[in-house]
Amino acid sequence: MKYMILLYGSQQDYDTMAGKETGKPAWSAEDIKKMVEFMGAINNDLTESGELVDAQGLDAPALTRRVQFKDGAPVVTDGPYAETTEVIAGYWIVDVAGIDRATEIAARVTMCPGAGGTVGEPSPVDIRPIGQAPAPDDA
Amino acid sequence: MPSSDVEDLLRRCAPQVLGALVRRYGHFDTAEDAVQESLLAAATQWPSDGLPENPLGWLITVASRRLTDLLRSQQSRQRREDAVARQVLPGDWLAPAADRQEPEGDDTLIVLFLCCHPSLTPASQIALTLRAVGGLGTAEIARAFLVPESTMTRRITRAKQRVKDSGVPFRMPSGPDRADRLAAVLHALYLIFNEGYASTSGPSLRRPELSVEAIRLTRMLRALLPDDGEVAGLLALMLLTDARRLARTGSDGELVPMAEQDRSRWDADQIAEGVALISEALPRGGAGPYQLQAAIAAVHDEAASAEETDWAQITALYEVLLRLADNPVVSLNHAVAVAMSKGPEAGLELLDNLERDAALTDHRPLAVRAHLMEMSGKPEAAREAYLAAAERALSLPQRRYLFGKAARLSPEGPVV
Repeated sequence: MKYMILLYGSQQDYDTMAGKETGKPAWSAEDIKKMVEFMGAINNDLTESGELVDAQGLDAPALTRRVQFKDGAPVVTDGPYAETTEVIAGYWIVDVAGIDRATEIAARVTMCPGAGGTVGEPSPVDIRPIGQAPAPDDA
Repeated sequence: MPSSDVEDLLRRCAPQVLGALVRRYGHFDTAEDAVQESLLAAATQWPSDGLPENPLGWLITVASRRLTDLLRSQQSRQRREDAVARQVLPGDWLAPAADRQEPEGDDTLIVLFLCCHPSLTPASQIALTLRAVGGLGTAEIARAFLVPESTMTRRITRAKQRVKDSGVPFRMPSGPDRADRLAAVLHALYLIFNEGYASTSGPSLRRPELSVEAIRLTRMLRALLPDDGEVAGLLALMLLTDARRLARTGSDGELVPMAEQDRSRWDADQIAEGVALISEALPRGGAGPYQLQAAIAAVHDEAASAEETDWAQITALYEVLLRLADNPVVSLNHAVAVAMSKGPEAGLELLDNLERDAALTDHRPLAVRAHLMEMSGKPEAAREAYLAAAERALSLPQRRYLFGKAARLSPEGPVV
């Protein structure tokens, strides 16, 4: 079964991690190193076990471009999110035995090191089963 | 024999085995699969059974058999199968005799030229070079480039198919074609090195294994083409740049600019080798861009401290380089060198011209502007430029470095 494990964050979280003054606790170089190593170890283990299909971090929400159909035509908006709106920040697609194993992986993700030597993702981590598209005949 | 020695030996043999097969049978794409399987067989058997007397011959024999099997199964309904089987002389089915002359390293060079064929995109050239010439597995290459293995498998398969379909004969390109093709090879090796040295995105700054591999492949190319100044120049450039690797990041992986690096952590042996290479190549005249960049790197590496850097010489070298290739990154570096040798105002003037052309839209011109503003005693303008540069930078270490510089110039002082 394939699952997508989703991680969330806001523009403010991205800026804080990049060392911008935002009012949130600052990340030291050591905090960053621990976070990168933590994520790298997860990816490495999932690669070793053959469960990793893909894993990507998404760039800052400010770089988002939104296209929406309005009044009969597609309308483009750059950077549609507020500073503190939580959006998808990254994902893993894993091919695992079932939801319990996907939950185990997501639980590990929530224990990510954070700013100031803290542990634990401030935002929830979601697991979404990847659906099988119906074959054209079933439609 | 330790398995790492076996691996070194296998990876040296890989392009030669592929060369021997393609020379004899054609079928570049299938031959490459057969070579990978022969390497795998050797990697599992040799460490326990010991090395065969002629490892290269062993690999060619095993890979030839495997190629025949693969072609048979692929084309079982075609007569070509028989034709291929007939091409395999009975003598080739036995282990080669000890005195048999194996083809010299030239085949490695032909395989390298094929992998960097102009009909392939640079991304495909790199992937194929790492696999067919470097002897790396698809999974390793996928990991180095942070893409799923299935993506890399497709990329390599398509690249091999394209090389086969292009119908390029298996021989060295000659005449004016040769220079263009060699330039493509050097460019692919340079991209592999850079991808390892300065990852353009993502949380970590570099993937050193790619730089190490690029140096190994360029060293091999240099052994095959010892008289080519640009091959020597590229190898020197890689060695002189990679020599600063340990000093380039701090203990927590943060970026350390060259002026602040602890020069005692630079690799003196690599610097000596790079300087020797470039000193031998330059006097031959007609220096190309790799030799000039290597010469610039050598001037940096030979300075005992940042203050003692011979910026006048670096400026002169950039001016020669600009005449060869008018490239916005070179212009930007030239502006920095001018600022360091003639003062920040002279550098800012060049930077204004460069920004008017708008050829560089990333963070780099802004980061340089920030440094030069800081040098000329304008902290507020410098801070704004650092912030603007940070917003445009894509890699996390670069963003953190630039925001950090801005914070240190803030009127309230750095936030700790």
